[in-house]
This record gives sequence, structure tokens and C-alpha cells, in this order.
Amino acid sequence: MEKILQVNNLHVSFDIHAGEVQAVRGVTFDLYKGETLAIVGESGSGKSVTSKALMRLLPTPPSRIKQGEILFEGKDLTKLSEKDMQSIRGAKISMIFQDPMTSLNPTMTIGKQIMEVILKHQKLSKDEARKRAIELLQLVGIKNAELRIKQYPHQFSGGMRQRVVIAIALACNPKILIADEPTTALDVTIQAQILELMKDIQKKLGMSIIFITHDLGVVANMADRVAVMYAGKIVEIGTVDEIFYNPKHPYTWGLLASMPSLDHKDTELYSIPGSPPDLLNPPKGDAFAPRNPYALKIDYELEPPMFQVSDTHYAATWLLHEMAPNVEPPAIVRERMKRFAEIVARKGGTPRG
Amino acid sequence: MARQKLLEVKNLKQYFPAGRGEVVKAVDGVTFDIYKGETFGLVGESGCGKSTTGRTIIRLYEATEGEVLFNGVNVHGKKSKKELKELNRKMQMIFQDPYASLNPRMTVADIIAEGIDIHGLAKTKEERMRRVYELLETVGLNREHASRYPHEFSGGQRQRIGIARALAVEPEFIIADEPISALDVSIQAQVVNLLKRLQREKGLTYLFIAHDLSMVKYISDRIGVMYFGKMVELAESEELYRNPIHPYTKALLSAIPLPDPETERTRRRIVYDPSQHGYKDGEELEFREITPGHFVLCSEEEYKRYRAMYA
Repeated sequence: MEKILQVNNLHVSFDIHAGEVQAVRGVTFDLYKGETLAIVGESGSGKSVTSKALMRLLPTPPSRIKQGEILFEGKDLTKLSEKDMQSIRGAKISMIFQDPMTSLNPTMTIGKQIMEVILKHQKLSKDEARKRAIELLQLVGIKNAELRIKQYPHQFSGGMRQRVVIAIALACNPKILIADEPTTALDVTIQAQILELMKDIQKKLGMSIIFITHDLGVVANMADRVAVMYAGKIVEIGTVDEIFYNPKHPYTWGLLASMPSLDHKDTELYSIPGSPPDLLNPPKGDAFAPRNPYALKIDYELEPPMFQVSDTHYAATWLLHEMAPNVEPPAIVRERMKRFAEIVARKGGTPRG
Repeated sequence: MARQKLLEVKNLKQYFPAGRGEVVKAVDGVTFDIYKGETFGLVGESGCGKSTTGRTIIRLYEATEGEVLFNGVNVHGKKSKKELKELNRKMQMIFQDPYASLNPRMTVADIIAEGIDIHGLAKTKEERMRRVYELLETVGLNREHASRYPHEFSGGQRQRIGIARALAVEPEFIIADEPISALDVSIQAQVVNLLKRLQREKGLTYLFIAHDLSMVKYISDRIGVMYFGKMVELAESEELYRNPIHPYTKALLSAIPLPDPETERTRRRIVYDPSQHGYKDGEELEFREITPGHFVLCSEEEYKRYRAMYA
């Protein structure tokens, strides 16, 4: 498959009064054409900072890209000037945010806000841009588009606003759409509609999506591949089946086990003890070690490298080292692993998302 | 064993004036009971009136109509200061936003002890601090935290402080309004486990308001589903998830994404359209029992149909 974006060893830091917050500490991944890659992790894990760095949306100072490269269409985005970046941002790579109310301008009509993007990036007349805006609203499932483009954001409901935001993001047929928690502020029934819409549009337009969320249900619904982030690093990456049915990293185990499953009512929920580390002073060794009941001695000394599990599946945990002891994951995860064997057997080969 | 009713909500209505003589019927005739020692879950989408219901029960709002009986005593009737104080002690609330619900200028000790002071539950300073330390330990924090301020804590820790504050006055009943929705997944499980443990140890009764249906199912014994100010379905949580009857409940359940790619690939979403009932004008909608303990808001005709299908 064709790689559309390559991120290599990306480091992003924020210089604040108290010192340097190392928000992203060496993130590497590829994005393939037409796929959805989900990035999951808790607040402060660096998932949003990573996505904003891709768009070069982080203000300098306080932020700075310390190291690493972001390769897109033969260019390293970390080295582009703001002017060159503007021709990519919104045209070739678009982004949608969590809160549709704050990402729309309350004093501008919806039509104007969509046309703004089109007029900026494409050589179209105002009339053509308006036509395109109406088409886009129809594409995202807004009825009476001719009428609606004359309305203001407050005249739309939360779900409808998010549709408008998606229409703006799609205005120039981007190659990559970055969605940062696009449904977190919405109700489940509206969320389901927006997710369906995004999948539908992806099928029609063939773009790649980077989907950032902390909701594992949404990930299971949307993603082809999943990257799990913790303390500024990707600790595990693989196809959606590999991550949900054959996870290798204890942090992924913890995340999956702390979701209530439908049949385990009386057992106590598995919970990851403690809280995430302070990235002002990242700990020595594996950052997850202090919260990891499976931590080995070496975890406190040396950071684990990425171990390969399959062609598509990697995890950064010493448990995968050949000399590591055999450990038993939580019961819920063991059950998931049993299902993995079934899926592999049924599909005859490596399961893919 | 006969279950004892701790809270009875009868035809509760909460209308807000919306200007120009119009009213918003945030809660429009809701009736349910909560038994001693159980967790009652209240779910629904934003704007359905679930939070307003919780806040009206505890008398943060004066009810427009209807009754709330706590241990047989009407919460909303005329009350002397003393009676009101006693009710306020027995009913406590935990709020959604652990950042907004703690006074940033008070130390953790003062936040937790505020209720102790108001209700005169500690005779000496030493006793007051001993209670604070005990409470901090109960919720999984430690005594060094007492002299700190809220901004020094993470979201999960703040929610623990909020829980300690609610526990300080030894309540019987706690209303938890979306207590975990602002927290990360790994922290949510910690707080839910804590709430469950406290319930076991102290025999607490909870009203758990949430929109995260999987967590609600896990923690609740019975669940009520609200839609546009009305309760449309009420049943034991297993029963509700296994045999949802009201079309809105079905739609809501079918919309929850599960952390399971295999089931997600075959998901069929049900869409609810309120006009699908085809109610005639003046048709009486009532909350009727379809199977034992399983209530649905329906018309006479639907009742017969549901009975034929499920009973």
C-alpha cells in the first residue's frame, strides 16, 4: 500500500517557566492511502500535540519541534515556511476539532465560512464557490442546503455544526483528514451519525483519516489500524484486530480491561493504578513502569525498544524480549486473545481491519 | 426480603420560563422509586432532563409540581431550617466537573470539612482533622493532601476530593451527576470501583446520572431512560439491555460503539423517529408495567402489543 505520510522520530517540547515539557518524545508512524489510523491515549499522552504538530498549528514559542521529520509528498513539513504550510493546511491536510461551536465563527454565515476555504485554495469564482459550498453541505447530509448556507452557526444543532465543520474540512478534497475527538462533545446517537458520515465520505473520496480519541468503542468502529500513545510515545501499534484481540503492551491491556464488558458485572473493574507521569521530568526507563503491575526490573532502567509481533504489529515492552518471563494478562484480555485465534482461523491468515 | 423505598419521586415536573410567556418542560411528569442500598441509573441524551431531575430531587431547584419523598418525608414541602439542614445532610451530590466544583481558594481540608462544620459533626479541631484524614484515606488519597489546594490535583484526584466532601456528613443517599465523564478511561475505572466499594461498606444509595451507557449498566441495579423530559423506560439493568422495549431505548442502545471490532463491523443502527408511534390526538400515554419491574411509556394499544410480544 502507498504511504501518504511518514512521521519519523518526532519530538515536540514546550518551553515553560518551570522547564521543558517533553510532550511528544519520539513518535514514528506511517499513514497509508485510504486508511483510518486511530491514535488513542489519555489526556496528556501527546496525541493532540502530535496531530497539531503535523498541521504545524502549535505556536512557537512555547512549542518547538525538537527533532524528527514529517514527510508528505516529498517534503518535510517540519522545515516548511509558514507561507508554504498555508498552501497545504486546509487544502491537502485538513483538521476537525472536538468542539464544533468554537471552531466556527459565530459572526459569519455557514456559506461564507465554507466559501472562504474554497476561494483561498482554488481558482473559482464566487458563484462557483457557492455552488460547491451547497454541494458540500449536501454531501455531509444537511437538507435544504441552498437555504442553510445563509444561516449562522447558532441556528444549527451540535451534530449539524459538526457536519458543517466536516464540510469545511472537505472543501478542497484533502488527502488527509485529521479528526481530533470529533464526536466527544456529541450524544451517542448523533455520534453514530457523524461516524457513519465520515466512513461514507472516506469511501467516496478515498482520503486517509487520522482519528484521535480516547473512546475505544469509537476506535473499534472506525479504525483500520490503531496506535496507542502513553507519555508522549507510541507504545503499541497494529491493525484494529491485533490491538483489540491480541494486545501485547500492559498499558493496552489496562485500557481494554478497564472498560466494563457486557458480561462481567460482579467482578471489580480492572483499573490502572496511579496517574500518568509528569513530562516536565519524564521518568528514567519505561514511563509506564510505576503503574505497571507487570513491570520488570529492567523497565526502571532502560526504555524498551519496539518489538515486532507481526508485519503490522509492534509493541514497546520488555515482556516481548526473548528472556522475559511469561506473564498472564488480565482475564478480560485473555478472553479477547482466545477470540483472536478464532478470527485468524476463520480468515485464514493475518486478520486486518 | 421486601425492599425498602428510600426515595419516591412522584409526577415530578420542572418547568423553566423561556421568555415571551413560553416554558421549557425540562422534566415533565417523572415517577420512580429508589430502594435502599441500590444504584439507580438515569440515562438519556443531553437536554433530556436527567440532570435537572437530579437537581430538583435535592432541591437545588424548586419543583414546579409533584413530590419527592425521602424516607417518607416530602423534600419540597415547607420546612423549618432544622429539617432542611437534616435533609441536606442525608442527601449529597457529586458533580460532573471536578475543576468547577471545588473552590480554588480553599484547602482540601476546608473543602472536605465544610459540611462537618455546618452540621457541627466535630466537637474539637482535632476531631475535625481526624475526620478529614480518615475521609482522605477512604477515597484513596493521603493526609499530606489536606493542606493543599485543588489546582495541585489531577482530575481523578479532584473527583476523589468531591467524593470525600460528600461523604463527610455521613449521607444515606448520593446523587452522582456524570461523575466520571470528565475523566480518562483509566481513571474512570478507579472512581467507579471506589464508588462501588463505598456503597458496600457504608450501605449508600446512589442516583447515578450519566450518558455513558456501558458504565451505567456496570454500576446500576436499575436504570431509567429519559427522553425529552419524560421517562420512557425503566427496568433492571440486565433486563433493559437484553430486552429493550421502547423504540427510543433500542435506538440509544444500538448507537453505543463497543470496544469490539468484530461486532462493530456488523453493527446495525436503529433510528428513532418520535412520529413512528403514530399516536392519535388526545391518546393517553402512561407508564405501564409490561413484565414485572419493567415499565414503558406507551399508549393502551401499544401496551397490548408489548404485552403480547414480551410478557
